[in-house]
Amino acid sequence: MPAMIYKHSFVLILGIFLSISQTGMGQQADAENCYLCHGLATLGISAEGNSFRSFEVSSKAYQHSTHRNVICRDCHTDITQFPHPEEPEKVDCSKSCHITKPFALTGYSHFDQSETHAISAHGYNPEHTAAMNASKPECKYCHNNTFRNVIEEDVLSENSTHCTRCHEDEGLAGVILHVSSHSGHRTAAASVKVVALCSSCHGNQSYMRDFDINLTQVAGYENHFHGKALKRGLDEVANCMDCHRNHLNLPADDPNSSTHPNNIQMTCSANTYCHSDATPKFAAAAIHSKPTMKNNPVLFYTEWGFIILTAGVMALLFAHILLDFGRWVGDIMLGRKK
Amino acid sequence: MSREYIRFSRNQRLQHIFMFVPFIILVLTGFPIKFPESTFWTMVFSVIGGIDTARVIHRFSAAVMILDFGFHIFYIFYNTIIKRAPFSKLYLLPNMKDARDIYQNLKYFLFISEERPKFHKFSYIEKFDYWAVFWGMFIMAGSGLVLWFPEEVSRLLPGVVIQIAYIAHSDEALLAFLAIIIWHFYNVHFNPRVWPANMVWFKGTLTEEEMEHEHPLELEEIKAKEKASS
Repeated sequence: MPAMIYKHSFVLILGIFLSISQTGMGQQADAENCYLCHGLATLGISAEGNSFRSFEVSSKAYQHSTHRNVICRDCHTDITQFPHPEEPEKVDCSKSCHITKPFALTGYSHFDQSETHAISAHGYNPEHTAAMNASKPECKYCHNNTFRNVIEEDVLSENSTHCTRCHEDEGLAGVILHVSSHSGHRTAAASVKVVALCSSCHGNQSYMRDFDINLTQVAGYENHFHGKALKRGLDEVANCMDCHRNHLNLPADDPNSSTHPNNIQMTCSANTYCHSDATPKFAAAAIHSKPTMKNNPVLFYTEWGFIILTAGVMALLFAHILLDFGRWVGDIMLGRKK
Repeated sequence: MSREYIRFSRNQRLQHIFMFVPFIILVLTGFPIKFPESTFWTMVFSVIGGIDTARVIHRFSAAVMILDFGFHIFYIFYNTIIKRAPFSKLYLLPNMKDARDIYQNLKYFLFISEERPKFHKFSYIEKFDYWAVFWGMFIMAGSGLVLWFPEEVSRLLPGVVIQIAYIAHSDEALLAFLAIIIWHFYNVHFNPRVWPANMVWFKGTLTEEEMEHEHPLELEEIKAKEKASS
């Protein structure tokens, strides 16, 4: 009996401790008390029509986000007074904040990623029209940071299988490496979500038309083993970013591209759990373009050959079955058989 | 009780079992990947235990099936070359009589003729089944092995071979599956003259009536031989 009491009081004390520490975290991120107003569900303005534009920031969602220890004004740098202007500037992810990098004393920023993104196919291109440049995804398009959405509870468990394929046995050294090289290839979403995100633009003809980008790539991925296995939950297969990089997305004809013929073998074999034995011939196989008579006649005719073979054989067999069955029915109708 | 005629030896019946059991397992573990959005195959996968388990089971079953096929090739080789069975005894080889039988059967189906073609040990239907599996085994096992060891294969062959194997494995699987559940199952189960099942794969023997109906020429030959020896 006393043991029970001890056990229960331990749970109780643990509970109190956790609730205090939770509150503490919230206060740290909101050192300047922005929640005083932005914690109100009714804060907002009536926008066009009958819609309501909410300015509420869900403290619960924010406390579970990556940026939970970053105070609001670290990113919203243009806010210097209270009350602040009605339309503050958009956040610039390349600015540094008050969080320091591990083993460095400089302010943390996404400057490197921002620079990489700028020279990628998703960055500003002077040859493109203003509308085309504006339609390209910037940081926040992919790194969805809408704190009004309550985060999904299962995100972490979905992520972990993809990460632990590499980071399983690395121990302390791996942890230090992971923390210090945060930006290497960390994915904020499970593979299925990465594919869904990339496909939402790359599978959309009206988005891709101006850029002269082959639309069949998304369907090609979905029809190939990687795409099908991913849909069936095999998380170790390559998603878009595993081959096309996360920020340095470049077209395959760019010599710096991870999918350029000179680099593709490196890309296939980069991860030990992928195709570490990939040969140049292995890497030369175009894995998700739709074969046409021009770009890949061998595959085109193989594909059609099998379609014709299957349809032809099954049509003949089916006709034979129908005729055979027809004779049996006919015999019964004519009263010739039992 | 009527006389029983041996059609398949125990060895041959076991070869059939070691072919169709892996076949069923290969379909159940392979088709959910071919059709990743299908509800039916999702249910199948949830019973099997998902793609991680399915991949292991698929490869194990494939190995059993390939060994069975390898044994069959050895079996034929042993019986024809080493034991020197006469070439004319290879009843499964297609010949001109098959073409005449197809023509006769079509006439029978269309009520032009009242006479069914007389088959020897194997009808053209059975020969088709046999050679379809023969072709299918080369395509499925060949492409399957390429997909199992893609890096190793690419040391010797161009990368396009992996892509061809991917198409061939997926498409030939569908053809084999359809041919079995439509064609083979009609001929040995659903055909109203056979329903509910032709049990020769299990028993290995046919009755005198079945022989008269399905393999009259073979029966004639057996009887003629018996007469000559007695």
